[in-house]
Amino acid sequence: MTRRVEPSLVTALVGTAVSAYLTVEHFTSPALLACPEGATINCAKVTTSTWSVVAGVPVALLGLLFFVAMAVLVSPAAWRRPKLDAFRLAGAALGVLTALYLVWVELFQVDAICLWCTVAHLCALVLLGTVLWRVSERHLAPAA
Amino acid sequence: MSPRSARPRPTTGKVAQARAATARARLAAQQEQAARRRRRLLWVVLPVALVMIAVGVLVVVRVAGGRPSASPGVAAAPAADSVVSTVTSVPASVLDTVGAGSVRTPPQRIDAPALTEGGKPRVLYVGAEYCPYCAAERWPMVVALSRFGTFQNLGQTTSAADDVYPSTPTLSFHGSGFTSTSVAFTGVETEGNELVNGRYAPLDTLSATDQQLVTTYNAPPYVSSAGAIPFVDIGGRYLISGASYDPSVLKGKTHEQVAAALADPTSPIAQGVDGTANLVTAAICATTSGAPAQVCQAAGVQAAAKALP
Repeated sequence: MTRRVEPSLVTALVGTAVSAYLTVEHFTSPALLACPEGATINCAKVTTSTWSVVAGVPVALLGLLFFVAMAVLVSPAAWRRPKLDAFRLAGAALGVLTALYLVWVELFQVDAICLWCTVAHLCALVLLGTVLWRVSERHLAPAA
Repeated sequence: MSPRSARPRPTTGKVAQARAATARARLAAQQEQAARRRRRLLWVVLPVALVMIAVGVLVVVRVAGGRPSASPGVAAAPAADSVVSTVTSVPASVLDTVGAGSVRTPPQRIDAPALTEGGKPRVLYVGAEYCPYCAAERWPMVVALSRFGTFQNLGQTTSAADDVYPSTPTLSFHGSGFTSTSVAFTGVETEGNELVNGRYAPLDTLSATDQQLVTTYNAPPYVSSAGAIPFVDIGGRYLISGASYDPSVLKGKTHEQVAAALADPTSPIAQGVDGTANLVTAAICATTSGAPAQVCQAAGVQAAAKALP
């Protein structure tokens, strides 16, 4: 019997790793970020901006909590519980909407793009896609 | 006649009908499967495509709309007396306790002609008010130089609001003066922190001599990247390029809070600012032949001197 790699879990774990990196960077020094520091691509400019904190909580930490929660929700054990599908879908949608908001902040408020943040945003989008694919498998299954 | 041929055989028509029925069923199942796959793809592709279109629209609007209007920095004003008096009189015991503190990049040793003015070693600082790294470096520069002389008319401002470490509180050397019997100081702020036609307004102009000095020494191999600010030349003996400590320790602080924190040797601000000040002091002492002894022999300066290359 071969184990199927769960794409949504892999995506959530990648997002967790990237968010953890950004969180550590937030609490230590942006100089640790492996990221170009130019006019357009500038991680430190984004992660040290006033928009990098919401109500005193670093956005990077919120991202970390999100991806950890999603990793739990898309774990093989959790996928065996159809009742969690609504939470998975809501979580994935929330992640993408937040990513869209943060892209707007980068483009129109901070005027710089953070590459590591972009990876996290892409993880949120791929997570939405993989969760939708898996949920649709269950809900669009042929009648028995 | 074989036993097999003795069995009753279905007619050819019935076989064909059965095969056709099986093929139709298989085709229907395949079509159903394909339709289900298309519906699933639609479930996935539609939302993802909508998100990508939304991002595309944001990028197009951003590119077509040009640079967003930047939040201006706070125009420099005369520094508050309470801030100046606190920063220029950090207790010696605190500086001794801090030593080299949390300095990440100590001044670099160079072999260059002595930089002097009026027979005294000269310290040249080149920065800009919008620059966050300059904002961080000014605090220790003022703490260190105040051990050798007296500042007049220091300004008070913040770095640009739309740059790295936005709105970092700082002092400004624009329009200031410095008097000392042992050290000369030139503080140049090339640009302000307010945008004029998309560029930061020019402030001070380097003298031809200093411009030549910057062209020569603010470039590899003396520093890692040419033209970086802040650039500090300490008597032609040491160079500083960039912030010596982590500017993030100043994040969200007021000028008063920064000044007050300098007297607490355990605070991250004191570790960064006072530590850098001790290193700058040690570097200056290397150009003044250790004078004044009261400053150069201080425990904090001696400890910091060991961190100098």
